[in-house]
Amino acid sequence: MQQQSPAKKKKKIKVPRVVNGVDTLVEIEVDDDGSVAWGPNDKHALLNHRLPRVDGHVKVSGAAEYTHDRRPPGMLYGRVLRSPHAHARVLKVDASAARGIPGVKAVVASTDDPARKELVVLFAGQPVAAVAAETPEIAEDALRAIRVDYEVLPHLVRAEDSVKEGAPKVFADPKEPNVEPRDKRGDASKVAEALKGADVVVEAEYRTPIIHHSSLETHGNVVDYRGGEEATVYASTQGTFTIPGDAAQELGLKESAVRAVVEHMGGGFGSKFGIGVEGMLACQLSKQAKAPVHLMLTRKDEFLLAGNRSGSWQKFKAGATKDGTLVALHAVQYRLGGLGDGSQAGQPYIYAAANAYREGYSIHTHEDASRAMRAPGHPQASFAVESLMDELAYKLGMDAVEFRKKNLKDAVYHRQLDRGAREIGWGRRNKTPGAGAGPLKRGMGCGIGTWGGGGNDECKVDVTVARDGSVSVAVGTQDLGTGTRTYTRAIVAEELGLQIKDVAERIGDSRLGSANSSGGSTTAASLAPSVKDAAVKARLAVAERLSPLLGGAKPEEITFSNGGVSGGGKTLSWRQACAALPAAGVTGHGVWQTSLAGRGVHGVCFAEVEVDVETGRVRPIKMVHVQDIGLPLNRLAVESQMNGGMIQSLGMALWEGRVMDAKLGLQLNPGFGDYKLPGALEMPELVPLIDDEDTREAVIGVGEPSIIPAVGAVANAVHNACGVRVRELPITPDKILMGLLSERRGA
Amino acid sequence: MKAFEWVSPASVEEAVSLLKSAPASKDVDEAARPLAGGQDLLTTMKDYLTRPVRVVNLKGIRGLDRVEGDGKKGLRLGALVTLAQVEEHAGIRRDFPGLAEAAHSVATQQIRNLGTVGGNLCQRPRCWYYRLEEAVCIKKGGSECFAATGENKYNAIFGGGPSWIVHPSDLAPMLVALGASVNVSGPDGRRAIPLEKFFTLPSEGSIRRENVLKNDELITEVTVPASPFAARSTYLKFKERESLDFALSSVAAAVELGPDKRVRQARIVLGGVAPVPWRVPKAEEFLKGRALDAESLAGAARLALEGAEPLSQNAYKIPLTQTLVRRALAKAGGVSA
Repeated sequence: MQQQSPAKKKKKIKVPRVVNGVDTLVEIEVDDDGSVAWGPNDKHALLNHRLPRVDGHVKVSGAAEYTHDRRPPGMLYGRVLRSPHAHARVLKVDASAARGIPGVKAVVASTDDPARKELVVLFAGQPVAAVAAETPEIAEDALRAIRVDYEVLPHLVRAEDSVKEGAPKVFADPKEPNVEPRDKRGDASKVAEALKGADVVVEAEYRTPIIHHSSLETHGNVVDYRGGEEATVYASTQGTFTIPGDAAQELGLKESAVRAVVEHMGGGFGSKFGIGVEGMLACQLSKQAKAPVHLMLTRKDEFLLAGNRSGSWQKFKAGATKDGTLVALHAVQYRLGGLGDGSQAGQPYIYAAANAYREGYSIHTHEDASRAMRAPGHPQASFAVESLMDELAYKLGMDAVEFRKKNLKDAVYHRQLDRGAREIGWGRRNKTPGAGAGPLKRGMGCGIGTWGGGGNDECKVDVTVARDGSVSVAVGTQDLGTGTRTYTRAIVAEELGLQIKDVAERIGDSRLGSANSSGGSTTAASLAPSVKDAAVKARLAVAERLSPLLGGAKPEEITFSNGGVSGGGKTLSWRQACAALPAAGVTGHGVWQTSLAGRGVHGVCFAEVEVDVETGRVRPIKMVHVQDIGLPLNRLAVESQMNGGMIQSLGMALWEGRVMDAKLGLQLNPGFGDYKLPGALEMPELVPLIDDEDTREAVIGVGEPSIIPAVGAVANAVHNACGVRVRELPITPDKILMGLLSERRGA
Repeated sequence: MKAFEWVSPASVEEAVSLLKSAPASKDVDEAARPLAGGQDLLTTMKDYLTRPVRVVNLKGIRGLDRVEGDGKKGLRLGALVTLAQVEEHAGIRRDFPGLAEAAHSVATQQIRNLGTVGGNLCQRPRCWYYRLEEAVCIKKGGSECFAATGENKYNAIFGGGPSWIVHPSDLAPMLVALGASVNVSGPDGRRAIPLEKFFTLPSEGSIRRENVLKNDELITEVTVPASPFAARSTYLKFKERESLDFALSSVAAAVELGPDKRVRQARIVLGGVAPVPWRVPKAEEFLKGRALDAESLAGAARLALEGAEPLSQNAYKIPLTQTLVRRALAKAGGVSA
């Protein structure tokens, strides 16, 4: 989407007017020139520099306490019994044998509540019961001692099977068909007409499998409730404030009586909002046992019941004229989100087509519902359309970058394409796919993405300066591993002319100031403005107290820099200055400032790979990602986000994908052995480039945009290297070898 | 994992008697198990694929962790020798380079630090149907090999039926190529078994097992004879993911060259393509008396894959393995592929 600068802040003033012949004052809105501002991006003392992560040491040394590490005294271990059937009616759950195992302290079953409607499980992995025991091993043994009688029903785990005439129904409800229309836009007949006038037409289908979030820390909570009026829930969540309400409901407490703690959490990528079924079960177990329950999903649970990035199946017919103009594009887009709706950005995504038509559907299967995952729907759409653009360009015999520029209106993409091409050495690429002597072929490709981001008014931040000179910033927000702690400190330190080490942050606690959930790359753009506002207010409050000591200088004219406070021709050290504060110190309460956040970003990725055409191995050589982002709060963290985005894209392009057995209705790779995340040996040279030509003085999130364009870039590089166009991810050696074989047969 | 009895014998004899005296079990996967490095056994126990009533810890037995001998006298590897020891051993790297390469190709450094020679040979299949607790396949007492008509990209193209697993060991193809034997101790004493006879096809032995070892027997030692081809041995493993993976396909090759650079004898054993290490005698024969050049390498590669019977999703293993055969022979013979 287009770059958007912050809206100018408005203020209300009263002006005299004559209303009905009477002089009166009315309120009008004018631009507020005194808006809080970041100032030019290249004039910061700390922000927009490379700041090492403040929690880096405790994380790499193992000292950081994640939710998984919590061990309240008397704690029990919870485990979940999953349905082994993809579709079945639960007739009976008999947990008597499990309850008899020494060390088992609580068992909850889906059939406990006689008032509840019968349970029909809709995917293999759906929880049916849960156990809390003194050790995880006892809990696992107890799960297997629970006898469940199922009436097995027919299942569907493949989109192709689900759309078949006469296929069984995924949902019992007649209002929920297997295939649900989602969106429709454009005029199909105009597209068909325009295709007739095209010089080249490409008709192709692209598929992406279901992808797993694969967070380092699985979903889960440690629910510390021992009876009584209060509870603490340690949660691995993207939304500290989504926890107390959910937990309170399960525990039968008031929301305010439940405290959520998220000191450190091991990633979520969009899958961790609310307490989840695992949290509800943990609460029920804790309530029953009157003891804290540690219920973190096992890795296998995580694959089977903790959500996923929906798969996609996209069919195109597109045409271009000889000069490279995309004149027509017809797209049918299926989202494969299991029980969920899935997500997919609409085609032709970022491209301008003179005539475009699309229709979108969700195809349901008996698999756990998709959840948001880092830029929901975008990598799928980008991979497909970038492959399609490449196919058109090659068919026209046109340079793939030039073809893209021809069909992209936004100038930001043009400059980013130029920069990326320069960095990767686009001129060196294979002019003819598959050309070159020997079995090792090099190739390059590119891809493009967009994201919105933006912030909202949910964060309440306190910055407190104490009389001893210590400074703290407090807000309940969570750090997903993205570096929230570091920039929170840095903003305050810069405002007060201090160093990062001089500020302490307190986050991850629902007793602190409220904050938004981390979704849609909105955390930084929501939180940073509130922190800045609190820091400015704290600075002015300190300045007000110091004014008499600094020759009566106006508070807003007193400067804070290099650990000193100056005004009226005098300078005080920070310690001296703070000594003048009241015993309780001073606190600035910050709220969101629209003037400090922006939205709308562009990203371009280039990839170079080497393909061994005798084994099908793809070796990534180099990836370059160019990204606009407004004001980068911490360049090191932004680059780290971009590296992570490139790595996750690489996994999606070359290795990852859920594999289901159609007959059994089971996932065959619910673990890191067969669900293959890339490791250290798979890493190419990663070059994250912040597009500093974006001079917006505004904070914009970069978590999601950085995962979008690389998937298509890698796929296009593989084609450029070896001449095989793999249209179904992941691009594994078997597909390349069989592709080469069929090309040879065809030739 | 299911609760079990843990015993730590001090001698091989004691270990054998503890295996033998374990309470009888209904199912072969509940029988007592010896534990060496535990890198495979523990994963099968955690997934309830095996549920041994007793686990016999071998790590307290002295003398099973030694590497002895060299290229002239032959090599003796105690069953508890770790894969890390094998890959780092100077004599093995010099005289049996293929064996050091095979050990190095396994998993990760952490696993190789614990995983043992004996355990590597006795590890269970990686077939994802076998590894899935919910899928009761023919290897676990069910009646069907789900891979036969299911998702079989990683399964066998040789020797399949009624199960299409592939043997996961990297050491096994190389040791078979080098003519190794295993010494096995049981209640009736010791016996030596040529490794080639140790592994069993699903159509020959018990469908629930991958080798001839009985429940109360242990591998105590692997012996590798001195041979004129050991010094020209190599192991090429193709993994889908280089960082950590089992073989999609692998080739253990060893050649003896005459002064005229012609092949006197060759050993070619394929891994990752059959339920056992798959020796290809026709290709070995073909090379005798030939110089290793593009033509003979291609010929051997073609013959090595002759008779392959791919399933619906694994025909790619044929061209892939042909490449590996060519490259492995070229590397062993010191020529370019």
